[in-house]
Amino acid sequence: MLQMRNVAKRYGATVALENVNLDVKAGEVMALLGENGAGKSTLVKILAGLEQPDSGAIAIGGKPHNIGSPAQARAAGISYVAQELSIVGTLSVAENVFLGDQTVGLLRSPSSLARRAKPFLARIGLGDIDPSLPAEAFSVAERQLMEIARLLSREARIAILDEPTAALSEVEIDRVKTAVRTLAEEGCAIIYVTHRLGEVFELSHRVTIIRNGHSFAPVATSSLQVDGLIEMMLGRRLEQMFPPRAPSVGDKLLVVEDCLCQGLSSPVSFILRKGEMLGLAGQVGSGATAILKVLAGLTPLYRGSITLDGRPFTPRVIRDSIKMGVAYCSDDRKRDGVFAVRNLVENLSAPVIDQVSRFGLMNRRAETTHTQAVAQQFNIDINGLGRLAGNLSGGNQQKVALGKWIGISPSLLIVEEPTRGVDVGARAEIYRHLRAQTARGLAILFASSDTHEVLGLADTIGTFFQGEMVQIGSADAMTAEIITRDVTHPAVAA
Amino acid sequence: MTSIAIARKSIGRRTWRFASLAAVATIVIIAVVAGLTTPAFLTVGNGLVIIRAASMTGIVAIGMSYVTLSGNLFALSASALGALLAVIFALVTAQTDLPAGIAVVLVGAVLAGVLQGVAVNLTGNPIIATLAFGAVFRGLASVLSGNGVLRIHNTAAAWIGTARPLGVPTQSWTFVFLAAVSWLVIRKARLGRQIILSGANREAAVASGLRVNIVTCLALVMLSVGVAIVAIFTVAQFSEARSNLFSGYDFDYIAAVLVGGIALRGGQGTPLQAALGAVLIALLENFMLLNNVSGGLLMTVVGTVVVGAISVFHLLQGKNR
Repeated sequence: MLQMRNVAKRYGATVALENVNLDVKAGEVMALLGENGAGKSTLVKILAGLEQPDSGAIAIGGKPHNIGSPAQARAAGISYVAQELSIVGTLSVAENVFLGDQTVGLLRSPSSLARRAKPFLARIGLGDIDPSLPAEAFSVAERQLMEIARLLSREARIAILDEPTAALSEVEIDRVKTAVRTLAEEGCAIIYVTHRLGEVFELSHRVTIIRNGHSFAPVATSSLQVDGLIEMMLGRRLEQMFPPRAPSVGDKLLVVEDCLCQGLSSPVSFILRKGEMLGLAGQVGSGATAILKVLAGLTPLYRGSITLDGRPFTPRVIRDSIKMGVAYCSDDRKRDGVFAVRNLVENLSAPVIDQVSRFGLMNRRAETTHTQAVAQQFNIDINGLGRLAGNLSGGNQQKVALGKWIGISPSLLIVEEPTRGVDVGARAEIYRHLRAQTARGLAILFASSDTHEVLGLADTIGTFFQGEMVQIGSADAMTAEIITRDVTHPAVAA
Repeated sequence: MTSIAIARKSIGRRTWRFASLAAVATIVIIAVVAGLTTPAFLTVGNGLVIIRAASMTGIVAIGMSYVTLSGNLFALSASALGALLAVIFALVTAQTDLPAGIAVVLVGAVLAGVLQGVAVNLTGNPIIATLAFGAVFRGLASVLSGNGVLRIHNTAAAWIGTARPLGVPTQSWTFVFLAAVSWLVIRKARLGRQIILSGANREAAVASGLRVNIVTCLALVMLSVGVAIVAIFTVAQFSEARSNLFSGYDFDYIAAVLVGGIALRGGQGTPLQAALGAVLIALLENFMLLNNVSGGLLMTVVGTVVVGAISVFHLLQGKNR
């Protein structure tokens, strides 16, 4: 049904896809797997007409096709459910179901539109909702399901689902699975992108793995084991990806007691020691990042107490945290992690401008010495410090976003999603650098939606689900299964 | 993958070097063409006219460039503030003496900068906030002057306004001096770095612990001081002040910043480029005036040049994506 040959795509200096082949048959669910940054999303966007490949050929039903825009993709029978929600909150549910559908005229009455939307919604388990209500009246999970209903309404020949279950609970995931199976039985070719290996084994017929912009020949799911799949994705054994854990940790540094804040539905308590890495695992909206934002001075603490090195710690703005030696690196380096249009020296010295200036003037020598020292610790090429941060790859940008904080000699480093959008090689490197810092006594508190990252990197692991900490304990006692269960449906386990 | 995909390629450093070179090259071309075609262009007298015209726009444009570089687009209140400060300067100087006049105007300028900075931080919208302040300033100028012409008779002031040490007007000495200082501020001073970082990525600057709000205030203070200097020079030169002084000049200041190639989004460029932009526009206007081009056409041409310049810079940015 769908064939992609030698597809390549680069963004400036960053190679997203180098050589990718993909074959999907009609009636087949093809799981598309790969690590963050492997190129899955780019591939999917090319199929959806959102990005144009630099080279390569796409054939649909045996005929070459040029997908120059989302409209052309739709005309070719390709339907796409994006990772980010594309539901318009102010429009009705029915209007959202038929959004962008040329056959639905503007003059169609709301009631007839609602009638037409009903069967599609029913198929995804939303049969009991009123399609004429605005979409914003419904939960994120329900809106995600509306997207699937939209996909159903388009009677696509090729359906692409990019992590459709990331924000869903178990019951809702089952609805999605049923819908996907039905679609496949009707002869639709399905490309299913997910991080949940369980879904891969339950749903897919074959698996295509993408690693560092290259695709591997598709493998029948029935011939695969979980461990083998992970190793194929990583390109190395799991244990080589992560540095060894801390042999021992130091004194108590951060004590969080009964803390409640925005994003949490019940209070959390934990202790972080010097030299320790505490990983909080949880999906988007689980509350795993909530306490991080309080410690960074971004959101207020509703109740509870926090002490840092024995002293009360209540930052009101980011500056307060920085002054107390607490560094914070958000999950969106493009937004607030790097100055893309400035060079690396200026990026790395940004948090320490006061230290590398005297009498209001910048001290170039002090600045150079400082930035070179930081660059060396994070393995950033010191001869390339004059380059603009925006021209670096995602992995190198992340090294800059993290590394600049080493300059303030923090006692606590807070990181959200340490390796989002970072390729495999750079991820292993970042893990190593972070571990090297804890060996010097730095305490690191990080949150991640990547189960394997939390399991591989942290000394202590806390799991979050729907605003509650499910459990916290030594990483030795945790397994990928326990974490995945905790962050998706802890109630089923209990 | 998503974040890498979105991490838009920034404009190469070369683009901004190109921007300055383009401004210089255009200046040379206009000068050569004008010199060859218009006999009156290449005279000492005309040269001084051009320099003085460029100086008065350029000093404000240098100040404006700090606002742009800090990521706050433009202040639309500069011309109105100039009128208010000119009226205050004339009133105080006439009542007391020149040093008192200068002191009061500088204090007023700092105050105006801080007030506008606070308003910009509160509203988050520099255009609207300064537009409103512009009305306030123009209105106050009108009230204080009683809508009349305020004259001063002060020989020291007249010297400041009309003297030509070494044959060059005081305004132009000041312009060149301020251009040099402004370059040092952006390149060498801590404040310059803070302005650049705040403009390059406001969120990242806040996350790095920079006091972006204070930086915004200081950028507006520097603009206001530039405006004050021009106000003092203007009153000193003509020995009078009116509430409608500098009317319509805001576009000239902004045009100089844009033609100089300073990034509209902030964070890239130097005040020197705004100074070059001011010289370029002054040359162009002078050339056309000598060739009896009407005021309307002149405005059209300058406007077209600005549109062309920002389009070219924008295209260059796009190419690097």
